[in-house]
Formats: sequence, C-alpha cells, structure tokens
Amino acid sequence: MNVESIFPKAHIPYGTWGASYFPAWQSSPLAEVNIGQFAGEAMAYIMGKRKVPMNSLDYLVSGSTIPWHWKFWGSPFLASCAGQRVPGYHLEQACATGLKAIFAAAGAVQGGLANVSGVLTFDRTSDSPVGVFPERRSYERTVALSDVWDNFGFDPATGGAMIATAGNAARKHKIDRKEVDELTFLRYKQYFQALDSGFLAKVLVPLEVLNLQGKVMGKIDSDAGVRSISLEALHSQRELDTCVTSGTQTHASDGMATMLVTTKEKARELSSQPDIDIQIIGLVEARALPSLMAEAPAMAVKKLLQQTGLTMNDIAVVKDHNPFAVNDAIFAKELNYDWHNMNKTGCPLVWGHPQGPTLTRLSIEALQETVDLGGGYALVFGCAAGDVGIAGIFKVSEGGKA
Amino acid sequence: MIKSMRQSTLETIGLGSVHSIFSKGKLPVNAAEQVDKVFGPVGNRGSLVISGANGIVGAGKLMQFGSRLKDYNIPIVALDFPGAPDGITPQYKGLASSFGKKNADEIMANVIRLNYDGNNLPSLLKSLNPKFLLEAIPEILNVKKAHFELFRSNFPGIEIRSVTSGFPSKELGVGIYHPAFPHQINKIWEVVENEPSEITKLLWALGMIPMAVSDEWSFVLDVLFCGLMVSALRYNRATNIPFWKIDKYIRKFFGPNPFRAHDVIGAKGANFLTWNCLHDLSTKYGDLFAPTEALVEHKDSGQNWYPLNHLRPMVNTTIDAAGSMQFNIWILGSLFQMTSLMIHEKRSHFSIMNSVGELCAQFRKGTLALMRNMGAEQSKRIVEAYHKLHPEAALNAWHPEALDNLDSNDWKQLYVNAEHDGEVGVITLGREAYNDDVNAELNRAIDWLKAENIHKVILTGDFHLTTQLVGADTNEFFPALDHHNIGYRISYQWSKTARRLYHEFETSVAFINGKRCLGGMLELFQHCHYIVTDDDSDLGAPEVNLPVVPGMEMCHLPFRRTGSDNWAKLIKLLLEGRSVKGKDTVGWLTDYSAQGEAAIKMAWELASKGELAMPKRKIHESSLYIPSFYPTAPTENKNILEARKAIMDTILASCGANYHEALKVQSECSAKFMTSDLCRKGFVGQEAEKTMNV
Repeated sequence: MNVESIFPKAHIPYGTWGASYFPAWQSSPLAEVNIGQFAGEAMAYIMGKRKVPMNSLDYLVSGSTIPWHWKFWGSPFLASCAGQRVPGYHLEQACATGLKAIFAAAGAVQGGLANVSGVLTFDRTSDSPVGVFPERRSYERTVALSDVWDNFGFDPATGGAMIATAGNAARKHKIDRKEVDELTFLRYKQYFQALDSGFLAKVLVPLEVLNLQGKVMGKIDSDAGVRSISLEALHSQRELDTCVTSGTQTHASDGMATMLVTTKEKARELSSQPDIDIQIIGLVEARALPSLMAEAPAMAVKKLLQQTGLTMNDIAVVKDHNPFAVNDAIFAKELNYDWHNMNKTGCPLVWGHPQGPTLTRLSIEALQETVDLGGGYALVFGCAAGDVGIAGIFKVSEGGKA
Repeated sequence: MIKSMRQSTLETIGLGSVHSIFSKGKLPVNAAEQVDKVFGPVGNRGSLVISGANGIVGAGKLMQFGSRLKDYNIPIVALDFPGAPDGITPQYKGLASSFGKKNADEIMANVIRLNYDGNNLPSLLKSLNPKFLLEAIPEILNVKKAHFELFRSNFPGIEIRSVTSGFPSKELGVGIYHPAFPHQINKIWEVVENEPSEITKLLWALGMIPMAVSDEWSFVLDVLFCGLMVSALRYNRATNIPFWKIDKYIRKFFGPNPFRAHDVIGAKGANFLTWNCLHDLSTKYGDLFAPTEALVEHKDSGQNWYPLNHLRPMVNTTIDAAGSMQFNIWILGSLFQMTSLMIHEKRSHFSIMNSVGELCAQFRKGTLALMRNMGAEQSKRIVEAYHKLHPEAALNAWHPEALDNLDSNDWKQLYVNAEHDGEVGVITLGREAYNDDVNAELNRAIDWLKAENIHKVILTGDFHLTTQLVGADTNEFFPALDHHNIGYRISYQWSKTARRLYHEFETSVAFINGKRCLGGMLELFQHCHYIVTDDDSDLGAPEVNLPVVPGMEMCHLPFRRTGSDNWAKLIKLLLEGRSVKGKDTVGWLTDYSAQGEAAIKMAWELASKGELAMPKRKIHESSLYIPSFYPTAPTENKNILEARKAIMDTILASCGANYHEALKVQSECSAKFMTSDLCRKGFVGQEAEKTMNV
C-alpha cells in the first residue's frame, strides 16, 4: 500500500544520524557535564563521522526536557557548540520530545523554513537540577523541586505518580505479570542480540568526554548499567504496582541523539547511499484518561493507522518507547499484535530513559532496521508524561530504491 | 672568482657572498655608514616617519627601529589620527624590560608623536626633515596611494616603504617592507624592491633580516600562513573537527598554530588580513585560496577561533590513523600546491622561501624541506589526492613541473651552502638549530668542497638568516624519548659529521659571531681545528637545564684539546649551563677572540695560513683521567643535581675512553639519558607531550 507523506518535501538522508550510548543515571562522565554543550559537540563529531559538513545545515530543531545550564539560549547556542551558527528552536514535551523534534524539523523543511534541518535531542537525568520556585499560595512559600524525581513522583494534573499510571493500565487491561516478565526477558535478549550482531554499532557512536585540561576523563561507549537478566530473577522481583517491578520498568539515563531532515535532492547529496529514500508519513498524539498513560501509545497507534489507512500487517518494523513493559503488553492486546515481533533491536525498557533523546534514538534504530530489512514502513511510538501517547510512521524505499 | 653550491641569500639583498666577507676582512656595509646614507650625516640628520604608528604593526616597528637607531639620534615621528587609540604607551613596559628603564627612556625620547587629519601633514613635520616613511596604515589601496602622494608632494625624494600584507609594489607605487609578527622583536622583513636599496642594507646592518621576494599579490609569508589557515578551514568544513583541535594537529605534524596565532595577534584584525589576503589570491589564482564561509563569518564578527574559557571543549575529536592520513592530504596537498605556485613564479630564493615558513610561520620544517624529504613523486601524489577532495583547486595554480629539479643544489642545500675561491672554502649554516636536514646538507657541503679539491674551510653562520646559533633542534629528540636507538643514531651520526671537519680538511676554522652559539652548535664548532669568536658572543652549554646530555662530544672533546688546568672551566660550563662571553673563552674553549672585523680577519688568516698563523690545539687521543669532583654553584634543585650527575658521569666515561671509542660512549650516554624519567619530566619531555599527545 502506498501512502502519501504529510511532509512530501521532507526526506531523511540515510545514515546521517547517530546517538551516543545511554549510560545509566550517575554511571558515566555525562553525570557531571553540561549536557547541552556535550550534545552540540557530539552532533558535529557524529556528522563528521557520517561525512556531513556542519555547514550543510541551515536550521536546528533541538529538544530536551530537563533544565540544563544555559538552556535559555536554546538551539542557537547548541548550534554554536556544533560549530555552525544557524537559527532554530528548542522544544520540550516530556518523552514525546524525541519524535516531535523530527516532525518539527520535517515541518520546517516542508514549510520552506529550512533546507537542511538538524535534529538534536538530549537530556541528563543524572544530578537532576533542583528548581526553586517562589509560590505565594503554597504553605512552604517557596517550593524546591528536583526536576526528575519529584516530577516522576507526582503528576500535578492527577495527583498520582508515574508508576501508578502503569499499574492502573495493567489492571484495566487485565495484563498478566507472568506475561510481562516473559516480555521483559525477551526485550533483554533482543537488545543483546542487537549489540552482539553489531547492529547497535551502526547507529551508536562511542564518545570521549574531556576534562577542563583537555584530557579524557571518561568514555561513553556502552549503555552502561544494562545487564542481562534471567526470567527467574524477573519472576522473583517484588511488585511495586500491578505488573511493575524494578525489572519491568526502565531506568534513568543520560545521552543525546541526532539526525537530519532535508529535501529530496539534498538528502541524495548528503547520504552515503543516495538511492535509499526515507520519508515521514504521519504523526499523531493521543491522551488517555487520567493516570492511564500506559494505554496511550496504543490509542495513538490506532489513530495513526486509521489516518493513514495502513494496518499492522503493512508495518515492517515496530518500535515502542516502553518505560514500562506493560506498555508493550497493552499495545499487543489492543492491536492484536504479537509482542515477539516488535522492538527487535532494543528498546528504552532495556537501554534506559533519558527522556529527550529516547524517541530519536528509537527512530534511528527503527530506520536502520527497516533499511536492513530492505525497506518498508517503520512504526515508532511511545508514551509521554501527562498520559500522552505519540506515534509516527516512516517509509523507507523498498530495496534501497526510491 | 668565487664558486658556490648555490647562490648565497646575502647576494639577494646586494651584499655579496659570505666568502667575500672573510676574504675582504670586513662586513659589506656597516650601520653608521648606512645611517648616514639614509638619514644624512651627523648635524644634518633627517627623521624616520612611521604612519599608523598606534596600530599593532606601527607601534611594534616604532619600538624596533627606536631601539636600533637610538645611538644615531634619528628622530622617529609617530604619525596617526588624533583619535587613534594609543598603541605606543603600552609598548614602554616591554621596552623597559628588554633594555632597562634608562635605555627605554632614551628610546622614547627620540619618539615624536604627531597627529594629522589624513589630508594635511602637520607643519612641524617639515622641520624634522623626513627621509624615510614607513607606512603602516589600513589596507585600503586608494587611501594608501593618496597617503604616499601627500608625502611625495610635501617631501620630494623621500623614501617610502609600505608594510602592506598583500598589495604588490606595482599597485602601490612604492617598495614593500612586509614585517612578521610579533613586530617588536621579529627581525624579518619581506622586501620588494627593484634593486636592493640603502635602507634594506641598513636594516641588515642594524641586525634585522631583510628577505628579497618578488612583487606579487601577497608575499611568501602570507601565502604560507594564510594558505595554511585556509587549508585548515577546509579540513574543518570537511570533517567538523573543531578549530582548536585542528590547531593541535597542525602543531603536531608541522609546527604552527594558525588559529591560536590569529587569536593572539588579535582576531578582529588578523581575521580581516587573512581574509583580505586570501580574497586577493583567490581572485588571481582561483579556488585554492578561496576563503571559506567560516573565515568570512569570523572576519565579519572579529570572533576568536578558540572557544571561550567557559566552553572549553568537551567531546574528544582525536583522529585515528586513517584520519591522520586524510588530514595530511588536506593540509600538505594544499600547501605543496601553493609552494609549487611560488616556485613557478620565482617568488624568492628557495632558502628564503623555506626559511620564511620556519622563522615567521613557525613551521618545524619549511615546505620546501618537507617536499624535498618526501620526494617529488610522493609530493605530487599528495597534491593529486588533495585535488580529489577539493577538485576546484586543481583548475588553477598547480605547477607540478616546479618539483622536477629536486636534485639541484637550490633544493638540496636549503640550509647549508658552500663557497670557495679555489683555495679556501666557506661553509655557511642558514638554520639556527641543528637537525637531520642540516646534518645531511653539511655532509653534502663537505663532499662538494672535497670534490672541488678544497682543503681549508671556514664554518660559520650565513650572516643573513642566522643571527645566532642556538643548538640542536629539540624537536628531533621527541622520538628518542621512547626509542634508545633513535637517540643513539642522532648523537652518533651528527658527531660523525662533525668529526669530518677535523679529519677531512687540512685546516678548518669555526667562526662564531652573532648573539650566541649554544649547545649542539657549539659542539659542532668544537670539532674544527680553530675556533674564532666575537668578543661579545655568548657561548654556552645549556643542556643541563633542559636537561639532556650533550651528544656531539662536548663531554670529552674540549677536555682533550686543553690542559687540565682548564678542565674546571669546562666542567663549570657543562654543569652550570651558564653562558660565557667569547672573550673569556680563549685557550680552553676557543682559540681567538676579537671584536667584529678583527675576528673576521683572524678567521681568514687561520684558514689561509693554518699553523703558520697559529699552532693548532691537538686532540689528546688516549684516555684522560678526570677527577670526579669540581666545585659548581650550589643548587637545591634535585633535577638539576641529577642532570649534573648524568653529565659528569658522561664526562668521566667519555674522557676515560680513547678518542675513537669516546664517540660511541658519548652517544650511548646521551641516548640513555633521553629515555630517562628525568628527561621526560624536563623541557624536551614536556614539549613532546604538549606537541605530540593530541
């Protein structure tokens, strides 16, 4: 089935992408540096590896969710860190950021705002900054808020914690703990297969972080903290909420991801394999009822399939941003889809949750996997704070032919 | 009739051969006579005018001329706009630190600051009788031409030179004196004149280094320096490697830091000058020189190239072996093509072109030396590989035929020349630091003189490109820190070359003039039958301070040529690292010392007459017993104490061997020390770490 893109002028040049590895919270030098500067410099380095001169870019859409030093300056500052003074803007919508940034860049190309727009997403959950907010109506008068942990623990719209949204949805959809453990076990197996096969090395770029004296203070060359886990171990873990254990939910991590969106002509010029054409077909967002975030992704996918006229049978690669394993289980149940067939090259449940870049990395992995399969549609979706689901579909030309 | 391996660089500024300096017993010109010629005799002295005197160039050159002309009472007029920010007063501190407060005050007393509006010269200027205008105003052709016209109409006959960094003389209508940064102390001037002028000869007589270059858009220095900059910028564009990191690699592989240099000079001005130079060059020669977008941006903004302190780089962009190869192609390919263009256009004497790169642009080896060492075919292949990366550059300004004469002496003898009159030869060193290139060229010069049946020789600096001889080029020692065999090879081979001066000539005379002769160069000169020095030259063995162990036989050879009563002086020289004046070295380190031309005359006499003029100090070939303790200045510096011990051990070991074995003993000691922790902690080790560990 052939479906028109919502951004027919926007194309993603194959291979002009990459992400850092995502080391777990507090486990790498990323815990101690300005993640914005790191992301900007890493983008230039990755693009250099991909043989894309930074001066090809004329726009930058950036995204992150956790306050960082000098965030006020947004995309222009990040572009300067990458060595290219271009305009752009910064966007933020929790874990939806990584996918929304790609579509925003596509919109910029479609609308003529940009010829080549960079996408740069990043976050540092480690050493989460603490905001101090004067609040005259609160009894404390001044509220101090640890950006990551306090927000995870409390949705101001519902009064509930993030973890409760998974438990609520699991109960609503009658998800079985045993199935969730088995699903999680498979996800780890899929990740290590992707790692061992060299797949991840195609999309992830090892980076070294320098100290003030210019000496290497550490390497970002693995998804540090990810360890294989047995089914027995998963079964033995204490349930924190329905179907949610420490093993069946993700962990906080740090990292960045980057890619390009441009015109068809320019994509052919920039890509190492110009015959591969990648387009953005569609994007939707949905919002579940209060505290049911884990079912929102399935809602978004249903809506997107309806909009595009595609079915799950048309999709070659399915990748879900699944901070809770129940997300995958609910999606499979709702879409009548075998969860064994998705997230084959890794997913955030395993490699972590740095928020801003999560869905960008997931998209890059999905596109690489689709290219490796010879083309087709790639479905990338996930949940985001506020009981939001987001889903997007990309199209990779069949057999590398446009 | 003087025959030479290649033309002396001195000849290119009308000052004849080095051989003729010795045969005539005098320098070709002297400062006092030249001052009279340029500014008029005492009692009727004219003045020097520097316009744009508050600028970086103007103020720097004001200090340089001021200090050198002080004794001749030449008024120096500093001319600028009334509102120009004061660039002169800030120079005083440096002046006082270099020359002392009293001298600095006297220098400044000769400086007369005058303002003008750009259209009318101050009436007071007439009373100062301007004889020479050094123009250092902004790089705007019409403004410069109007400025010259203004001076010519007011002062017919005035000599005018422009410091322009790009406009040819034929466009300006005046001669060019293009100086090199830093302007207060850099003695080099690229000179564009139809014939060498009296002012150019005055510069030489004042101890500066005028270098004749041809009249083109941008001169040799700017082609090399701006060319290196644009090559680096293109590499940045292709790879996104940040400027600061590229700078480190350029320093590692070639020597200069072009981006840092722009920031240090002042990015706003330097970026503009570089852009302006490249713009002019690209207009004439095409894309090889075309400024990149990043340069245009930095030119327009005046922004520095290195990141701000709070944005010190975070992501390591070290390149691998394949990346290094690509880097070399981008940089060297471009530079080799530019050099081929300059050779094709005959922009200067080869040695000058090569030296401009080393002395002004900080290349460890000049581009001609790099190409020669690489060979013509490999050099061409690098340019062709570069053209695959930058095809537009191939369209113009590539002259591969310029590399076809690598076997000529112009190419082969970039640093060392030899001249003779059929009887006495002169070998001149045109590089202040001894390295493998100099060593190879010195061997060829010796071979050539022997083939010419010359048995008497004077070894000296070239009276032009070298104003001092500072010793071994410590860059050559970097690989020896890790590889004993390399340190041994350097010491052994260089010493073997030096020994040829003693064994393969009937008479060899080392002539030391200039500010100083230190370290490896002094060791080299020790091998001659006679050593003649200027009274005021500083002679020294600073190795202990680096520390390294002398490797060219300083630890035994001078001991073998003087009595035991002088050994204490030699040990003091070697272990304390302090220099001594030439006049205080006769009998234990040198054979004769005198002021200026008297020393020159004696060098010639010794070379011509040998032992008829003075008996040679013989080498004591069997082993010497040296007492292991001599008093030296106390120090609590443990590193110095350890280095002293290593040098003393070398003295004992090499003197304890016979003359023939001592060569190996000294080489072994020198090489062994270079692999020590102490050497790694010292200057050589730290420089190697800073330079090579990118």
